[in-house]
Amino acid sequence: MLIRPAADDLRTVGAALGRIFLVVTAASGIPIVWALLTREWNPLGSFILMAGLFAVIGATLIRVSLPPTSKIKSDQRHLDWSHGMVVVALTWLIVPAIGSIPFTLSGHFGSPLDAYFDAMSGLTTTGLALVQDLDHLASSLNFWRHLLHFLGGQGIIIAALVLFAGRGMTTLFQGEGRDDRVLPSVQSTARVIWAVSVLHLVVGVIALGLVARFVLGFAWERSLFHGLMIFFAAFDTGGFSPQSTSIGYYHSAIFEGVTAVLMVAGALSFGFHFRLWSRSDKRLQRRKVTYDLDERDQPSRWSLLKNLETRTILTTFLVTMTFTIVGLAAMGMYSSVAGLSRQGFFQILSAHTGTGFATIPSSELVAWSGLAFGGVAIAMAMGGMASSTAGGVKAMRVGLIVRAVGDEVRGDLLPEGALVDTSYYQFGRHRLTPEVARSAMIVALLFVALFLSGAGVAIAYGVPLQQALFESVSAGASVGLSVGVTTPSMPALLKLTYIIQMYLGRLEFVAVFVLIGFLYSLVKGR
Amino acid sequence: MMRTRLAIVIGMLVGAFVALGGPAQAVTVSVVDLLDDPELYAGQEVTVIGELVGDYGFRRDGTMWTQLNGDSYAIRPLVDGGPLRGANIGIGVVMPAELGRQLDPPGRYRRLGPVVALTGIWKYHDPGRQGETYLEVQSVVVEAPGRKLSEGPNWPIYGAGFALFSIAAVIGLVYRRERDTTS
Repeated sequence: MLIRPAADDLRTVGAALGRIFLVVTAASGIPIVWALLTREWNPLGSFILMAGLFAVIGATLIRVSLPPTSKIKSDQRHLDWSHGMVVVALTWLIVPAIGSIPFTLSGHFGSPLDAYFDAMSGLTTTGLALVQDLDHLASSLNFWRHLLHFLGGQGIIIAALVLFAGRGMTTLFQGEGRDDRVLPSVQSTARVIWAVSVLHLVVGVIALGLVARFVLGFAWERSLFHGLMIFFAAFDTGGFSPQSTSIGYYHSAIFEGVTAVLMVAGALSFGFHFRLWSRSDKRLQRRKVTYDLDERDQPSRWSLLKNLETRTILTTFLVTMTFTIVGLAAMGMYSSVAGLSRQGFFQILSAHTGTGFATIPSSELVAWSGLAFGGVAIAMAMGGMASSTAGGVKAMRVGLIVRAVGDEVRGDLLPEGALVDTSYYQFGRHRLTPEVARSAMIVALLFVALFLSGAGVAIAYGVPLQQALFESVSAGASVGLSVGVTTPSMPALLKLTYIIQMYLGRLEFVAVFVLIGFLYSLVKGR
Repeated sequence: MMRTRLAIVIGMLVGAFVALGGPAQAVTVSVVDLLDDPELYAGQEVTVIGELVGDYGFRRDGTMWTQLNGDSYAIRPLVDGGPLRGANIGIGVVMPAELGRQLDPPGRYRRLGPVVALTGIWKYHDPGRQGETYLEVQSVVVEAPGRKLSEGPNWPIYGAGFALFSIAAVIGLVYRRERDTTS
């Protein structure tokens, strides 16, 4: 029998949502300041409207969920696992809806659905875009597009966690597809994530800005503008760009190199960052960041290379890169090795990290076939590390699945009764239990189903199989590379399909399934 | 009669000489043509018309890089009331810096860049630049100068935004007062 959520459940969800919307209201102040400084009066009004709506919804939810007569304070409401998942799923649906208001009012979108598509694409760090006449778009709107990458990539929930401590907040953290607690409390972990992000922000923007100024010869203010936009999109593995020709706009191997470093940084998990940059290994040990270690497996920087996840991502990157370069060579696409390497490397890195930047137009990417196409498509599906801003199946799950299959085969080959070592190394030695393997396989299968269903809808509209598959994987794995299927003139149902794919892929299904169950029991439960 | 025939033959020879030995005519193409079949024009001299947008990047090697858009927004951007016609369609262009310095600022928000006819060599997957594709410009003809565009504030939107903020503030203040009274 389904049990209808009680009023108290709704209030708990409402209170958490209200607080998150107040955080988003504060974040909306940033584009307001930008528009004021650049004197972009038309977008300024739409940002004020958007922020006002976030504020009203946030304040109302708190008022309704936590009546003044209630003895319970906001941070005392206990969020259980399902509450957290519902809050996350609703946040990721509603924030792009309200966040798309400035896009709709800008006149650069064919419909509110197109604007919602771009807002969802921004927040989920996908990077597919339906914006029209991007090259004449106001800088504040461009900034807002890229800030959505930052908010989505670093996590709206993470920001809320930094500001509001509360019971049961761990579930919110996990709902965004993160399970990487580098410090004992979720709040301190959230602070570390933001500290890592801000450090990269400063270094990344300065590096990109200097290259833009001294290598590309841009004016100072434009150098910083491009540096900031590309940083947001690269570090958050988003893929939006301030100009319509993506990274191809810059025509610079050095600029691409700095961008590549940021893309890799974005695809690494925050736990990896934390351990990489921690001042001493002893500090890590003191904080007991690992789960079931013995003395031999105490963490060190070098142990990062032993991690199953690190080895998997390096392997899949090398394999897909080889596929792509061999494929391009077979097609005779580039007459020089340097050309083949630079273009092949950048596209495959962009695909594997889930960023979606391109140095070639979609009209050229669509011509990639055979191994080159396969290499990029597989790289997109694989994605980056768990608990990073990258999407896709994720290296950890791929590694676990391969390991589990390998263990099965070894078990069959060895004499009966022989023991098979089913452990793996990931910041310490763990046992690969059937439950862990099954969980990884289920999510991987869900991703495959997501990719195929999106491709099926596109094929139904007459899109060729290869292009339909490519675009669907790109949307579902939060990548953003396009072979030209995603255009403002594509059917509304296909737009909606890609929106759902971006949403499901970013939240890795669970939170969305819980929301559906919650709503169903609200209607049908007793 | 004989003289007439001779004149015709001479005329044909001169024509053939001019056609074969004279300077080659650049093919006029659109940006869409170049992107649809970039290999077809590889190494050819082409003339392309469009709007210069984005930035002028003056590099130390004496070149200036920018982007040429050949879409409907090059004539009338959305900010200027132009119709929605899809995404921008652009290519990278490089020209000697001295040519670039004579041009109006590139197109951006509230600014239409200069509409120019660029003649140059279409470099497709240029091995000298690790596979980049771009137009190496030799001459620039300004078809229409750049101009500023205006877009003023939308007052009803401002009004609605401030009204919402006021409502949120009132809810917050009343809530705080009620809470204080209760406690």
